[in-house]
Amino acid sequence: MNGLEKISGFDPNDYDQWQVNWAPEDPWLIAISLGLMIPIALWFFWTSLRKVVSKPQKVFLFLLRVAAFSLLLIILLRPELEFKKSHSLKNHIAVLLDNSKSLSIKTFPKEVPRIDLVRKTLDSNKKYFDQLKKDFQIDTYFVSDGVQKVSSGLKDYRAHRPYTDYRRVLEELNKIYENKSLQGVFLFSDGADLSQESGEISPDILESLAKISGPVHTLQAGSNDQFRDLALESVSAPDLGFVQQPVRLSLTVFSSALGNRNVPLVLKEGDRILVSKIIEIREDQKKYKVDMQFTPRKIGKRIYTLNLPRFAEESILTNNQKEFEVDVARDRIRILHLNGRPSWDSRYLREVLANNPRVDLLSFFILRNLGDDVVAPTSELSLIPFPSNLLFDDYLSSFDLIIFQNFKYEPFIDKKYLLNIRKYVEKGGAFLMVGGELSFHGGSYSRTPIEDILPVSFKDVATSFIDKEFRPKISGDYSNHPILRLEKELNEEVWNALPPLQGANFGLIANKDAYVLLKNESESPILVAGEFGEGRTALLATDSSWSWGFGKAGGRYFHRFWNNVIDWLIAEPETRRLQLESDKERYWEEEQVLIKFKLLKENYQPAINIIGKLTLSSRSGKVITKELKTDELGGQVFPFIPEQAGFYEAVIEIEGLQEKIMFSVLKDNAEFEKPLVNDFVLKKIAQVSGGQYRVLDGANDLSVLQFENPEIKVKSHSRPFSLWKNWWAYGLVVGFLFMDWWLRRKAGLS
Amino acid sequence: MRKYFFILGLAFLLIADLANADFSSLTLPRIVYEGGNDNARPEALRSLLAQMARRTSVEVNREPIALKLSDPNLFKYPFIYLGGDKAFDPFPESELKILRKYLSYGGFLFIDDNSAELDSGFDQSVRKLVAKLFPQMPLKDIPRDHSVFRSFYLLNTVSGRAIIKSHLEGVSLKGRTVLIYSANDQAGAWSRNKLGDWNYDIMAGGYRQRQLSIRLGVNIILYALTLDYKKDMVHLPIILERLRRYQSP
Repeated sequence: MNGLEKISGFDPNDYDQWQVNWAPEDPWLIAISLGLMIPIALWFFWTSLRKVVSKPQKVFLFLLRVAAFSLLLIILLRPELEFKKSHSLKNHIAVLLDNSKSLSIKTFPKEVPRIDLVRKTLDSNKKYFDQLKKDFQIDTYFVSDGVQKVSSGLKDYRAHRPYTDYRRVLEELNKIYENKSLQGVFLFSDGADLSQESGEISPDILESLAKISGPVHTLQAGSNDQFRDLALESVSAPDLGFVQQPVRLSLTVFSSALGNRNVPLVLKEGDRILVSKIIEIREDQKKYKVDMQFTPRKIGKRIYTLNLPRFAEESILTNNQKEFEVDVARDRIRILHLNGRPSWDSRYLREVLANNPRVDLLSFFILRNLGDDVVAPTSELSLIPFPSNLLFDDYLSSFDLIIFQNFKYEPFIDKKYLLNIRKYVEKGGAFLMVGGELSFHGGSYSRTPIEDILPVSFKDVATSFIDKEFRPKISGDYSNHPILRLEKELNEEVWNALPPLQGANFGLIANKDAYVLLKNESESPILVAGEFGEGRTALLATDSSWSWGFGKAGGRYFHRFWNNVIDWLIAEPETRRLQLESDKERYWEEEQVLIKFKLLKENYQPAINIIGKLTLSSRSGKVITKELKTDELGGQVFPFIPEQAGFYEAVIEIEGLQEKIMFSVLKDNAEFEKPLVNDFVLKKIAQVSGGQYRVLDGANDLSVLQFENPEIKVKSHSRPFSLWKNWWAYGLVVGFLFMDWWLRRKAGLS
Repeated sequence: MRKYFFILGLAFLLIADLANADFSSLTLPRIVYEGGNDNARPEALRSLLAQMARRTSVEVNREPIALKLSDPNLFKYPFIYLGGDKAFDPFPESELKILRKYLSYGGFLFIDDNSAELDSGFDQSVRKLVAKLFPQMPLKDIPRDHSVFRSFYLLNTVSGRAIIKSHLEGVSLKGRTVLIYSANDQAGAWSRNKLGDWNYDIMAGGYRQRQLSIRLGVNIILYALTLDYKKDMVHLPIILERLRRYQSP
């Protein structure tokens, strides 16, 4: 090296390694090409030397040519001598600490949370880890649904992440150590990766494990021995249900070490019990499939709660209750249509109802009165008795709307059932009376519960029905009312172009809070809508609206009018004066919620600058109250961020109206639904990777777990020395060729 | 003098009756057409209306009226009657158009051959009329499970003054029968004078056949007024069972 020092100008002793580098990208191509050409050239040269008699001279000349070619070849390959200084690197060991929620579950019999077993094990093996740190680079990570490097010790180690996903954890680990020497992994976990089926491990995990060169030692936190729990493991409920239609639930109840006992499973809406079922828990069975069924009674988003009893000895109490939400919609509009006598008015309205695909229609026509002589025995008639007790007692609440069309209740309905109709409307039902001689006064409804629910009172008049043509006119500024909206544009012109009506009921005085939508020329109310209790009622004081459905109008507006009436009566959302909604149905924790409301005046124009009270309350009892003023569109938006997960109720109260919605803020507690330790996965990971599997008791000795520690050298600095870009390299070539030329001249060769 | 009082009294009753005639009550206009005899049974419709009033809860305007298809009041009457016993002139295109529109918009036409003859001139005229009226919808036999046979009375035969055909024929649009044609002179069986005597004898039949014809007339009118309502009744047990299910928790 001392000679080299003189040539190169630096001390090679400062370096501990050297190597020759060839500059061309593919030196072997040049070497092979020249290696083929040079022997051919040498062969020609050798044959040209046959005139040289002296064999030593001949050999010397040939060697000179060989030496010259060899040097030329070396120059073409541009060799470089590199002197390097290297140092050793430590191999890596990754310590993975599961921080998902399931680590907070207690292990029996000492009732120690799983996470504490990990902490104790790390404490009791501190010396071992300190020793490992001398030889290895120890990297600690919190793992669950991802990988997070631990930079500030274990003071932040807590079981709070929503779930464990080994596939993702191992994928991220492989990325972190892509160009690093990872010699092994400690995995502290309970194995509760919910994506792994019982007794199986996914191929993705095995694939990721194969990329880790060292063993993965799995250290199981917790065990299933004496694990006591009663849990609602999974609940499968439809997001959408239909009012008055059964909703089916299927769920799995998990029980462990609770002995033989019967436990009640209760389904509630608020404080009201909907269904309960007894589950016979047996010592030798862990899972119980349960099917339940309930019938929603009201439309809207409804929150239901499933409850199992809580036993003091259980590991987890939170999984004994589960809430779920069903958006209850109206699948069909169930209408009871009673006709006092067949008429054109009843026939055309029936056609509208029967042709509406949303309507489930049950209609009855009174085809004969008591005084009629049918001139035939009953067996030859298709008439059936009117099932008044079934309709007005047993099934009344099943209907969304009841229509009395030119119908006199006596003698078909007992007067006591009129009281049932009043109660039905009071609780949210809808009632419509369509005029004719048998309606209102003519039907003897004066001073009956029907008069109470209608938005009019009856005045004694000499003639209660007059068959005279009239043209109804929209009263006040109600042209925007949903019932009267036949066209978006030019609505009043459409109304004015409808054929006149003929025949109206008189002696009706609109209530103060009623909406008189149509009047005749003498200002008598023709179409009146109103509210009674939670329900809505309306009346049309004529039996001639069928003339809108037949003739030149072609029935288009007739159909639209009656469908509007139905929609308003059953309080379809777009017909409500106060509308409240949230921008989403479900939110995650810490996500902003937007509560929007809109208020319309009685004539359905925006109500501006009206102050309303918005109350937000959670199941935990936390209440926020806010006063909000409507803007120029009659609406307002209130943003807020819920502090905790759960179901929230928003209530807006304004101008005597009230609307209510519910929304949920979600928190992932899935790991508490399947809380068992998955020892199979941990054993399999250890087995596949060549690691070992241990169950932690807090005092395990981990020093038996060893890792290979191959030496890793990494270049810290280097110095190159060119073997061709020198005067002596080119000088030698020239010298050899000159000597070759001189000797050939001397030998008499050209 | 007493006679004049009697006539005056009758006139007063008639005016009073017309004044009470409700716009929504049942009126049976007879269609007036060119050629043939459009009023072969002048007292039949009044007689049928009287039977309707006697037997059912339907409110009727007892005095029948006569209308041309071009009459602007046509669309005030969703039920019209077309009868005759002779061949009639083809309807002009303008009237065919009105009739087509009338039936499509919800009107109903009952055609009755009063000739009591097979393949009569009236029958041939009717078939030509229907072929022009609905070229894509020819007259078809009405099946016995049609609502017209159960809209009030349960019927299993097609009666009339003369049993020329044992079935009714008709045209249906979008599930609604808009036209019914009888070849059995139903009006002849219904018709009675003001003294209550029957105007025409029943051919090869008696009281029962006339009664069945009246029942068929009642059923046809009630079908026009209630459509397939009776088919709802067939479904009633199912509907009630469905409602029962709604009640159970």
